[in-house]
Amino acid sequence: MGESAFEITINGVKLVLVFLLMVQMVPVLVWLERRGSGFIQNRFGPNRVGPLGLMQLLADAVKFLTKEEFVPKAATKLLFYAAPVFALLPGTLAFSAIPMASPLKWGEHTFLIQGYEIGVGIVFILAISSLAAYTILMAGWGSGNKFSLMGALRASAQTISYELALGLSIVGIIMMYGTFNLTDMIHAQEGALQFQAFGYTVSSGFLPNWGIFYQPLAAVLFFAATFAESNRLPFDLAEGEAELVAGFHTEYGGFKMLLFFIGEYGHMMVASGLMATFFFGGYNIPWTTTEQVYQWALGLTGSADWGSALTSAVHFGMFFAKLAVFLWIFIWVRWTLPRFRYDQLMDLGWKTMLPWALANTIITALIVFVVSQTW
Amino acid sequence: MRAARVVRMQNVDLFGPIGLNHYLILSALLFVTGVAGVLLRRNIIVLLMSIELMLNAVNISFIAFGKYMNKLDGQVLVFFVMTIAAAEAAVGLAIAVNIFKRYKEVNIRFFEHLKG
Amino acid sequence: MTADTFLFWLLAILTLVSGLGVVLVANPIYSALCLAMTMVGVSAIFATLGALFIAGVQMIVYAGAVMVLFVMVLMLFDLRTEIATFSRGRFSGAVKIAVVGLLAGLLAGVFAMTTALSDGIAPSADQADATKSLGALLFTKYVFGFEALGILLLVIAIGVVGLARSKGGTHAKR
Repeated sequence: MGESAFEITINGVKLVLVFLLMVQMVPVLVWLERRGSGFIQNRFGPNRVGPLGLMQLLADAVKFLTKEEFVPKAATKLLFYAAPVFALLPGTLAFSAIPMASPLKWGEHTFLIQGYEIGVGIVFILAISSLAAYTILMAGWGSGNKFSLMGALRASAQTISYELALGLSIVGIIMMYGTFNLTDMIHAQEGALQFQAFGYTVSSGFLPNWGIFYQPLAAVLFFAATFAESNRLPFDLAEGEAELVAGFHTEYGGFKMLLFFIGEYGHMMVASGLMATFFFGGYNIPWTTTEQVYQWALGLTGSADWGSALTSAVHFGMFFAKLAVFLWIFIWVRWTLPRFRYDQLMDLGWKTMLPWALANTIITALIVFVVSQTW
Repeated sequence: MRAARVVRMQNVDLFGPIGLNHYLILSALLFVTGVAGVLLRRNIIVLLMSIELMLNAVNISFIAFGKYMNKLDGQVLVFFVMTIAAAEAAVGLAIAVNIFKRYKEVNIRFFEHLKG
Repeated sequence: MTADTFLFWLLAILTLVSGLGVVLVANPIYSALCLAMTMVGVSAIFATLGALFIAGVQMIVYAGAVMVLFVMVLMLFDLRTEIATFSRGRFSGAVKIAVVGLLAGLLAGVFAMTTALSDGIAPSADQADATKSLGALLFTKYVFGFEALGILLLVIAIGVVGLARSKGGTHAKR
């Protein structure tokens, strides 16, 4: 955690801040989703409460908090109450492990702008998000409602099917950068496109050194799989008004429903953050390195401490810009594409994405091996 | 009883710093819990779960030995055990589902007539 | 009590209690959730032992896939209570005694063995490169076992599909 009591305190506060950041983004995202859907579907969306309908968020929060506390008679109370709480966990824990800016060096202290750094970052995030299936099952079975249960079975089957494609699509990236550590990956994507092959150096001035130019297939597969993981539309088979009511959260209302909401948006944020980290250079500004930004900040402020702080702030802004782009794509896709049928979903996952991800893994392995040879 | 005497003889400090012994004892306790589950429970799915518990217990001691002997072979073996366990669970569950479809029951008492 | 000691006892108690829950709880769904908890605890124990990659794999494979399958099957059957959770009779009594005996034997073995082993054994500190060497080991010394496992998995995948093939639904043969 840290060496001195001061660092430990700061790191503890940081964890809380990351959590609050994630939770506070949810109302903004909900507003964006509703206004965005209005924009896409050529209608207004919420625009009555406050400027641009922004106060709608507060009104919604008050509504959620004052709703009736309801438990179905047939429900298993323990699981029914536990599920929404557990729904928060995977998103929060995984989001804390994503680096959001370059480390802040203040005097002799170094603060990472992320909840905690884990050497095997990717494995940790995958492991944590694989636990999401439990909340769905607990909610579905605990509700004591057959539609909830069917929705939960569908949703969790979908989640564990797409986890395979998700995990395999990242293997190419891991092999290419030779690390599980997210910070190391971001460092490998600094500057303009440049790599070494067969003893030659290939470089390009007009492309940033992003992972997507090395692993385009992996990027597509990963992004598609994260849609399925977060149960968003083209893959929101967990819900279905005609057949399953609202899926596993049919019986939930008020604050408990809100927790599921936060969980879903947390998944989206983790997916967007990972997308930015793996394929779009993380917190780095395109075409520049962390060092260049630091030198610029140093020239501007004239002190090492403030220079480092400014660098972190700039990188933080960049990370959030990238995050926002992917979150917008999530919303955009949701209101543009029609949904799949369940068998189409399973076919896509097992018969299309899994083989492509495997092929990507094998081809990447071969290329990494051949390129690393010196002949 | 015998265990207790060995403790006194070798003068192992249980409540001091954590060593290999602690992990091995934890592993042994979990393993025995698993054995008890396999032998005493009647639900076929709980039997499978108890087997998983036993495999996990073994994994703990593999990793602990690996760490305290400075070798990675333990981790490789855990890798293998995990694969086998996943495969075993898949087969076991498929059989359990078939049995349930046929007898509408997962209590092993109902298909003891497979005994020769 | 140092942080390491505290962490070990916390995780040990968590694992043991949830492990006992698997065997003692009558409702198989709770027992499956207990087992999932045990898996998470075991994974955390791996992490405290420095095997971070294996800890992650443990979570992904056991807690994320195998146990979800168990929970799904149990919820599909919806077995809230069982006719007889435990087996009764003279045989079971003998089994209980035998289990205690096994425990005693194992513990005795643990103490006898480790005190013989523990001279000059120091835990390895550097785990930064462990994953890489783990991979290297897997594909050199243990490559035969690895390939054999691959074949085993293929066989099992085909076998399970054959076993569980449904006689209806969208993918049925007409």
